[in-house]
Amino acid sequence: MTVSTSERLTRAVGSTSRPRGRRLQASGLPWILPALVLGVGLIYYCIGYTVYISGLNWDGASPDPLSVGFKNYLNISHDPVFWKAVWHTAIFFVVTFVVQTALGVIFAVIMHSRIKLAMLYKVIIFVPVVLAPAIMAPVFRQIFAANGQFNSVLSHLGLGFLAQPWIGQESTSLPVIMAITIWQWTGLTFVLYYAAMSQIDQTYIEAARIDGAGNLRVLWSIIWPNLRGTTVSLGILSAIGALKTFDVPWLVTIAGPNNSTQFLGTYIYQMTIQLAHVGYGAALSIILLVVALVMAIILQVVGREKADR
Amino acid sequence: MRFPFKSKTALRSFAALAVAGMAGLGLVACSGGNNQGAAGSATSGTINWWGWTPTNTNEANDFIAAFNKQYPNIKVNYKLVGISDYQASMRPALASNNGPDVYDLQPGAYVQQFGSYAEDLSSTAQSALGSDWKSKISSIAVDGLSSNGKLTAMPVGSTYAGSIWYNADLFKKYNLQPPKTLDEWKQVCQTFASNGVGCFAQGAAQEGFDQDTLQAISNSVEPGYWTKASQGQAKWNSPQIAQTLSIWKDLFTSGIMQKGALGAQQYPDVNNAFLTGKYAMVMMGSWYTQYATQNSMTQALGSAGVAGAKPFPILPMQFPDVAGKGNTSEMFGDADYGLAVASKSKNRAAAETFVKWMTASTNGQQVVANRLDTTSVLKGVSPDFNTIKFVDPALQSGPVNDYLKNASSVDEHRFALLNSDIENAFLAAAQSVASGSATPQGAAATLQQAADAAKANQ
Repeated sequence: MTVSTSERLTRAVGSTSRPRGRRLQASGLPWILPALVLGVGLIYYCIGYTVYISGLNWDGASPDPLSVGFKNYLNISHDPVFWKAVWHTAIFFVVTFVVQTALGVIFAVIMHSRIKLAMLYKVIIFVPVVLAPAIMAPVFRQIFAANGQFNSVLSHLGLGFLAQPWIGQESTSLPVIMAITIWQWTGLTFVLYYAAMSQIDQTYIEAARIDGAGNLRVLWSIIWPNLRGTTVSLGILSAIGALKTFDVPWLVTIAGPNNSTQFLGTYIYQMTIQLAHVGYGAALSIILLVVALVMAIILQVVGREKADR
Repeated sequence: MRFPFKSKTALRSFAALAVAGMAGLGLVACSGGNNQGAAGSATSGTINWWGWTPTNTNEANDFIAAFNKQYPNIKVNYKLVGISDYQASMRPALASNNGPDVYDLQPGAYVQQFGSYAEDLSSTAQSALGSDWKSKISSIAVDGLSSNGKLTAMPVGSTYAGSIWYNADLFKKYNLQPPKTLDEWKQVCQTFASNGVGCFAQGAAQEGFDQDTLQAISNSVEPGYWTKASQGQAKWNSPQIAQTLSIWKDLFTSGIMQKGALGAQQYPDVNNAFLTGKYAMVMMGSWYTQYATQNSMTQALGSAGVAGAKPFPILPMQFPDVAGKGNTSEMFGDADYGLAVASKSKNRAAAETFVKWMTASTNGQQVVANRLDTTSVLKGVSPDFNTIKFVDPALQSGPVNDYLKNASSVDEHRFALLNSDIENAFLAAAQSVASGSATPQGAAATLQQAADAAKANQ
């Protein structure tokens, strides 16, 4: 690695004027101070406070909350709705991540193939990303209602026998939530893969072509391995997104029917706000935080190991 | 880029100031405090009223305009907070010093959760109506808003459920009569289905309306049993409740309940579907009386997205004798909503003036009664039908009058005896039985477990 002339000059000047540590402190600390105070004062304080109230039996309003130690955590371990929410989160993550990745890569490859009206397609694919779930939820409620447009389309296609009350039954409500999420976030996956593909050295692809590799072979052996970093990042984002899922299941199905679209986020809201079990909700929140951290670390480590190979 | 500090001391001073400033800001922002607000003037000032109802802000503004004729120097700002956001919004608002002066309360969970932020209005009621004030207001409305001897809110109106409203035009068109038994109900629904019209609609995704239907069924199985169970004097895991849940399941399997009911919300889905003529019957209570009138029905059709639609007459009917035991399923009710005065209000006296006028004055209650949104609670006040225009006066006037008279004699509670945990258990039981993932007996057992757990937590 080479050191630039300006860097060398700065170091030389620094060495003759003041001790280096003080200079760094003077130039850096005030800049990070507001963020540091906000970070420590708000975020970490709030996490600490949430840990504290997770040990209480409290409705969030009464002046004399009852300390219950780890009882909330113990109760959560026996709570079937919690385990349902965890299971839904896991399925949701796997399905949405795999489908979004596949669609994102396919769309990115197609858009790199110099097709006509590519810009229009890019906009169409990306538009759902910028639409607020609160705006789209009533639309999807209408589309997937028993007498909604989705069933109407099926009937017109001669597939009326497939018509279902999609959000009104346990067997299909979660797939609907996953489909909406995939529709919403595939645009982002596509954009990131599209950008990552632009960074791939064309000489690799040309060399593969000279060696006789076809399109699929190039995609699988050249492009896909070079997208690993993007895939790992998307994996982490998807995992954290799955753990934080709230808006779509809440607005479209109210986490039902019969908890069939219950997620950790919706369950925390129900417990804390609707049922006023603030201590229990706080314990759920801490579990969610720990799971998110562990998942992010695992995905980082796995991604790094594969990248190092 | 450099930061213009000449010395370490100056830097430290800035850092200390910054930290102290941020901490101070945080303290100011976070401190709720428990200070009591000031009384202020009883005849002037500005007060903020937050509520989930009246859902129509025009209605609230009409109340305020009528109030201002008598108290022109008290300005009332009404803020509509959606019922789905009410709990989330009110908790921080009431804990802060910038919350509402007056806010809506409903019997049951809301009184339990937000009653502690309210003034005890017993003395206000006494000053307005005298020492025997309880005898002058519908008792069912007062009971539900009282908690541990404290009157957390004064009732504006009472509301009654357990009834069905039907589209009279559709029944007339297919020459049908309102069903009185389960079999008749099934036959009526078959006729509607064969003509491509939806029969009965309910937002079974929402707890409160499921509970209404279950309580109505239970009153057909054994009148009064539901109330006994709510009071802890009978078990939820009993044959009566199991039968109630079996009949509930039958509504889904026999084609009475609309397809996809478990994914439908009463508002806006079912309400809009009924008002647009897609369904002939809907599970609604006394609050639906307002749509019997020309004005409200026309406004509601506009809100439901039906431009230029012709209002149609709706009529109330008793819930059918679905158990076939000859029991008439009576209605049940509570205070629809009451107005609480926040302890932290800085204009408590003006707030109390407004609450007194709305709840305990003849003028205020007459305005409330004439809207037909909620049933007035002050005895002796009833809707002035000379000023109210029905969609079809000849058809509706008699039945609607009778309906309101019957409702005013109801003495069985709707939500007031149940806490939010048990209400949540009702939703789980209703949905799991309807979807087939639990048996009626199994679901009834979960209701008893929830009741036992709630009792243990008290």
